[in-house]
Amino acid sequence: MATLPSGLPDVIADDEDIARFLTQSNQFNKTMAKPAAFLPNPKDRETSVSRHGREPSERLWQLGLAAARGRTLYGAAIFKASDVREVGLDLTADEPPLFHAVLTRWPWFDHDPDEQKAKQKERANHLASAAGAPVLK
Amino acid sequence: MRTGSAVSTEAQTIRSSAFAVVESAELSMALFGDKAVAISGLRMLANECAEENWDGNGAYPLHPIAVLLAEEFLRALPDDFPLPEFAPEPDGSISLDWIQSRTRLFSLSIGPSQRLAYAWLDGSDKGHAVSRFDRQQIPARILQGIREIVNHGHASLRAA
Repeated sequence: MATLPSGLPDVIADDEDIARFLTQSNQFNKTMAKPAAFLPNPKDRETSVSRHGREPSERLWQLGLAAARGRTLYGAAIFKASDVREVGLDLTADEPPLFHAVLTRWPWFDHDPDEQKAKQKERANHLASAAGAPVLK
Repeated sequence: MRTGSAVSTEAQTIRSSAFAVVESAELSMALFGDKAVAISGLRMLANECAEENWDGNGAYPLHPIAVLLAEEFLRALPDDFPLPEFAPEPDGSISLDWIQSRTRLFSLSIGPSQRLAYAWLDGSDKGHAVSRFDRQQIPARILQGIREIVNHGHASLRAA
């Protein structure tokens, strides 16, 4: 197993914490980060995340601010790598930037984008439920 | 001394009309107030996500037709129905969410197409489906799905 510049192994373990940064105020409420916050970018078909938990919080927000690229950073939804794999998605380390990873293998059907979206939403519901209340900055 | 009865009648008519307008406005607010507030929130979101890359990660701007369809969907919701929360989706669609708890939610996506994708989570029960919205009446299947989440009924709605 190789080691990445962050010092993390290149293979993501099931028990690793994963952070999805929230850069829009409608992406969450008091109860949870909403499912839409986890949906993939249609251009690369991936969801950008960081391999990081709640602590150390200074580094979490440092990574978040870099990910927000000048936009407001509201918080982060934290879940486990195993939550991703439970719904048939996968996680791949993607450095640089340090600690960066992507959620891959989202359902994609070019012939039926609505069915594609419905299946993606079911998986996003699972991730949102697993993450629960966001960590607010 | 002039009694001015003609003026008085006119004034009374104007006063009655003014009362009618106020009553009508109050009735409209009572009937449509919450929906009007929701539509206003939706438009605010559309405005905030009107440019590409609103998430810092290359998201598409919210599609104007999606915003229009979402407004029509809100107007078509039965008056006694709980209103959803909104969230932007990276492909330019709008998510309408009924969130009761982290394990009980119904999430509907409105994009530029009249086929609406949705998925629900109700404890260990989960599923997804697609239904067509004719821009006037919300498909019974969607209403039933939302009702079951909101009322915590037992699902008769199951995955397509």
